[in-house]
Amino acid sequence: MAQVTEQPRKWGMVIDLDLCTGCNACVTACAMENNIHYTGEDEVAYGRGLYWMRIQRYWHGEYPNVGPEFTPMLCQQCGEAPCEPVCPTYASVHSNEEQINLQVYNRCIGTRYCANNCPYHARVFNFFDYEIPAPMNAYLNPDVTVRSRGVMEKCTFCVHRLVHARIDADTQGDPSLENEVTTACAQACPTNAIMFGDLTDENSPIRTLFERSERGFQIMEELGTFPSITYLKGGGVYGGRD
Amino acid sequence: MTRPKPWYKHGGIITGIVLLLLILIGGAAAALVFTQQSPDQPIQFPHRTHVLIGAQCQYCHPAVAFSAEAGLPSTDKCWGCHQQIERQSEQLDILASYVESGEPIPWVPVALLPDFIHFNHLTHVDSGIACETCHGDVSQMTVAEPQTRWNMGWCLECHSRTGEENFVRLSDCATCHY
Ligand code: HEC
Ligand code: HEC
Ligand code: HEC
Ligand code: HEC
Ligand code: HEC
Repeated sequence: MAQVTEQPRKWGMVIDLDLCTGCNACVTACAMENNIHYTGEDEVAYGRGLYWMRIQRYWHGEYPNVGPEFTPMLCQQCGEAPCEPVCPTYASVHSNEEQINLQVYNRCIGTRYCANNCPYHARVFNFFDYEIPAPMNAYLNPDVTVRSRGVMEKCTFCVHRLVHARIDADTQGDPSLENEVTTACAQACPTNAIMFGDLTDENSPIRTLFERSERGFQIMEELGTFPSITYLKGGGVYGGRD
Repeated sequence: MTRPKPWYKHGGIITGIVLLLLILIGGAAAALVFTQQSPDQPIQFPHRTHVLIGAQCQYCHPAVAFSAEAGLPSTDKCWGCHQQIERQSEQLDILASYVESGEPIPWVPVALLPDFIHFNHLTHVDSGIACETCHGDVSQMTVAEPQTRWNMGWCLECHSRTGEENFVRLSDCATCHY
């Protein structure tokens, strides 16, 4: 018999920029997990590339001591999301259960207001129907809807994994199953720079990092968006660089 | 002196409107009828016969107990019984030909939701909801029949009956649409 679930959860992520090597494994894992269409070089050049996650690269230092800095950028799952109030069809809604922002594809009519209002540029739009040639459709993840033309999409914190973990935990009566859930990007990260977890869980390893790390900051926190992602950066003293 | 007829009293326009209405009503009626009919199946598989001889739903649709999908049985499973039963109908000859060629039977899906909805059998079966609640009385069906009113209101209506404390979770868009 399924059980009534306990307290509401709040999912969060910590990204340690001192560990990030900019290898793009998370971007690839995300694309495979979420059936993100491959648009091709030309479309990316037009600014119509599809990605839920990207690595922003900055250069720092004076020549010849120049070094790159990488910032994985994805939907920050804001507590006060700028994308939500502007949607005329309520397709961009806040999930009370998961405490994340949702994009309900079948509700979306493609006005793109939400993307214009997103300070993180985390939302991308399907400008066309992209063909998936024959053997490649076997890669599609059956748990994630394949979006069609005219639909906005963005990082979901792998909500299909969250829902499945919750159902497994419920039906098997083992709540720990839900604590083990992680996103595709965090799973793929070779240096463990991306960590995912439940912020309401006392024992969660990311909880202290999220709230109390000295190195922690949130991107554009001055906008009052209350992101669910905290970045860690040690001002250049970590990671062997000057 | 005759006044000119107003535009809507012209015969052509009236006929046009009547025809249009007929087409719309006819189309709607046809849509209602055709979506509620069982599609042609490669084999007229009689659920009734099999449930009557005591085969459990979960014997042929075992995945309901551990996954989102229910799954359809393979030809091996049919053959496990039918190899031993004398073939009395040409339906079973069709079955035999599939077994011989080793090809899967191309069943036409009946119980189907659009792709943007993620239904989960495991949690419903685990909550003790009988198959009949959603699929109708399959044990009386000769071929699987589609059910009416499989829409979002139907899901939510039952979910709202599970209690207020569950309804936030069970009505959250992310529970079904992702
Ligand atoms: C002997 C094996 C067997 C048993 C027992 C059995 N089924 Fe089936 N079921 C099948 C096969 C084969 C099909 C596919 C043929 C069809 O759709 O008519 C099917 C199809 C279905 C479908 C339609 C699925 C779809 O979309 O194609 C439903 C619903 C269903 N069964 C429910 C049940 C229920 C409920 C029970 C228990 C009362 C049950 N079945 C018992 C073999 C079985
Ligand atoms: C539990 C054993 C069992 C399994 C498994 C089973 N059957 Fe049967 N089936 C029977 C029995 C018993 C009858 C009744 C035989 C009769 O009336 O001659 C029957 C009858 C039938 C008939 C009706 C024959 C007629 O009289 O028209 C069809 C068609 C059929 N089965 C197809 C299938 C298919 C397809 C499968 C695989 C999905 C399957 N069966 C799996 C036991 C089984
Ligand atoms: C709460 C309602 C509900 C209950 C209870 C339920 N089903 Fe279903 N079933 C569905 C829905 C909805 C679908 C369509 C799923 C889809 O298209 O993704 C479905 C699909 C199916 C299918 C089609 C093939 C597949 O793999 O999905 C079969 C077979 C099936 N159900 C069998 C069963 C059996 C057997 C039981 C009882 C143990 C059962 N169902 C209980 C709602 C239900
Ligand atoms: C006859 C009642 C009934 C119907 C109809 C029904 N559900 Fe449910 N559903 C339930 C119950 C009961 C639960 C389990 C609640 C719990 O966890 O205790 C549930 C749970 C779920 C869950 C898992 C929620 C979670 O994360 O724990 C999903 C997903 C779901 N239903 C989807 C659907 C969809 C989609 C439909 C319509 C196609 C549907 N349900 C129709 C009764 C129903
Ligand atoms: C319990 C599961 C469930 C939940 C929760 C749910 N939906 Fe649905 N939704 C469905 C099902 C099932 C359908 C398919 C209806 C059909 O096929 O007619 C649907 C269809 C829709 C459609 C129509 C799509 C179309 O093209 O016909 C929209 C829009 C929609 N849902 C939006 C939402 C929004 C917004 C939310 C959150 C507030 C939500 N849904 C929550 C199950 C659910």
